[in-house]
Amino acid sequence: MAEMWINMGPQHPMTHGLWNLRIKVDGETIVDAEPEVGYLHRGIEKICENRTYTQVIPISDRLCYGSSMSWSHLYCLTVEDLMGIEVPERAEYIRVAVLEMQRIASHLMWLAAYAADLGAMIGFIYTMRDREIWIDLLQALTGSRITYNYPRIGGVAHDLPANWDRDALRACDYMDKKLKEYEDLFDGSKVFMMRNEGVGILKKEDALNLGVTGPPLRASGVKYDLRKDQPYSVYPEIDFQPCYHTDRDCYARYKVRMDEMAMSCHIIRQAIKKMPKGKWRVVAPRNGPVGTGLGRVEDPRGEGMMYLVGDGTDRPYRLKIRSPIFVTVSAAPKMLIGYKVADVVAIMGGLDMCIGETDR
Amino acid sequence: MVARQKRTMTGEIEEAPRRVDGQPEESVIRHLLDMFPSTLTDFKKVRDGLLRAKIERRDLYKACKTLRDILGFEHLSMISAVEYDDRFEIVYHITSYSKGLLVELITTTPKDDPSVDSISSIWGGANWQERESFDLMGIKFNGHPKLERILLPKDYVYFPLRKDFKGGG
Amino acid sequence: MDLKASGTDPSVGQVIAFKSRDFLKWWDGVFEGVLRRSPVGSGVDLVTKDFFNWATRNSIYPLHFGIMCCALEMAVASAPRFDAQRFGVIYRSTPRQCDVLLVNGPVSKKLKPALRRLYDQMPGPKWVIAMGECAISGGPFYNSYSIVPGVDQFIPVDIYIPGCPARPEALIDAFIKLQKLIKENKKGLLTGK
Repeated sequence: MAEMWINMGPQHPMTHGLWNLRIKVDGETIVDAEPEVGYLHRGIEKICENRTYTQVIPISDRLCYGSSMSWSHLYCLTVEDLMGIEVPERAEYIRVAVLEMQRIASHLMWLAAYAADLGAMIGFIYTMRDREIWIDLLQALTGSRITYNYPRIGGVAHDLPANWDRDALRACDYMDKKLKEYEDLFDGSKVFMMRNEGVGILKKEDALNLGVTGPPLRASGVKYDLRKDQPYSVYPEIDFQPCYHTDRDCYARYKVRMDEMAMSCHIIRQAIKKMPKGKWRVVAPRNGPVGTGLGRVEDPRGEGMMYLVGDGTDRPYRLKIRSPIFVTVSAAPKMLIGYKVADVVAIMGGLDMCIGETDR
Repeated sequence: MVARQKRTMTGEIEEAPRRVDGQPEESVIRHLLDMFPSTLTDFKKVRDGLLRAKIERRDLYKACKTLRDILGFEHLSMISAVEYDDRFEIVYHITSYSKGLLVELITTTPKDDPSVDSISSIWGGANWQERESFDLMGIKFNGHPKLERILLPKDYVYFPLRKDFKGGG
Repeated sequence: MDLKASGTDPSVGQVIAFKSRDFLKWWDGVFEGVLRRSPVGSGVDLVTKDFFNWATRNSIYPLHFGIMCCALEMAVASAPRFDAQRFGVIYRSTPRQCDVLLVNGPVSKKLKPALRRLYDQMPGPKWVIAMGECAISGGPFYNSYSIVPGVDQFIPVDIYIPGCPARPEALIDAFIKLQKLIKENKKGLLTGK
């Protein structure tokens, strides 16, 4: 039987972002796969060497635009590690609340695209409507809908507006109701379950060896969440559990993200209740010291890291960014081989790809 | 508050045990210093959970194999390449889930011969990261299965992240 | 064009039969002569021009092509809150069925041939909307080594939407401005005037 290579991309309604998936098919079955990235390479690491430390913050927002608050927060964490700055406690609690809101908005965006790709257009409509509530909260706080430019080196840009915490608690109650509705909608749909169960199995040893992190790792049975195991910011004070699953397939990845949304509502409530009064920003020095800084967070898509080398001036000497999706996509062939062409949508959609951070 | 899980096929759950402070770092330091007495230098504990060491590039492959097989470091987090005035430094960040540690291994290469051994046969996650370091900084990894450009077009000639590349940024 | 010469034997049952290339040449000749250059063509155009123009501008089909952050706002523009579908805007997956190419992010040197090819694959009449600062002039990455500073370096652009990112309301405003643009440049389908 003749085998042939098929190009899915760079323009394809399935590809969330701009990449090319080359699959080798034998009839309908996938025999080999080779992802091709680099269509969105902007040279951010070189650009950052010519901007001051504060000017890099809006650029780090545009790394992964689906969850931009977590990337600018990661950059601020790295610079604070290099400069040795202690962030005030109110700023830490505001950062945690805003990060978890960003996590919910990012997972809702993923669910919208995932449902639309699998044919359940109703999922797109409902989740986009609910995402607007979180985007409205973030817009009231920062002034922008997707690239916020809100964390600063030494805290956050400004304090909370009036009644913001009351509205955030109301949004959490609304979200809990809506999550039950999504469970009925998706778990009760036979077509959705058939397209997800048993599809795209990633074994635990493969996931660990190939460097997969985030929800796909937790869906393969490894209970590891950086917020719990290597905590940063003020997460040790907050009581929550990492969400994991043992099924290793697409349904498990979907379920892990739904559980994470419920857990994020829980974290937002605690962060808002425990928030002290006080300063929200410490002014950082203009010039960085000579040395290195390392930052590590649990991004909605996995483990994000930044390695920063300072040389005494007010610009970074070298900024290296570790993108979780860059490594997870390289593990895609393991998940694709043996399944049919129609399963590509479910498997690649379940990885929640954001090509902005892959290509940098 | 944790949502329900489905009962299915496999059922093993791996739990990451909590660290006992002080113990894991000391044993890792001692073990590595025993194995590589001359090539491992500058070993220090930066803070709880973060170790830093410099190693010469000829022992890099053996050290990484030791870390994965004997000391239980399952996950390679990041490979970075930094260019200084007189050398290239390649920094490996390796994580252990079971111990809760992060080791920062720094290898130095001379300016005119930027090449190290590839560790993509130890950790598959290193494959694309090494290709990216080759693409942007020009570091050659000996023994890599497919060392090609990944982010830039295939016929691009320069290595943009080097300090003598003046275009852009 | 000798009809009988290219036909088969009448006794078989077929009177006039063409090879498809000959048929197209014959039909084009009829079209050119009768419809396009004669008063019949201009008359038909006069009657139907307004109708076809109304149909074109109320059913603008953009291409499903998202590059960067403005693509999220493009997706949200078809969500329930901002609802671009009430203006007739439905996203299509293949360039062969689209009218508008929405470029919503920075164009890297690797993407440039692919984007030009997509533009060439769209049948006319077609328009291009450059959404966001990155497509207009390169945006925050204007002096990067690997992006093209502005999509109008290799594709003719009709409408520019400023913003970083451009809000969904701005995108809907761009569609309305495109509708006005189509209305002002009314062209008959047959004669092209």
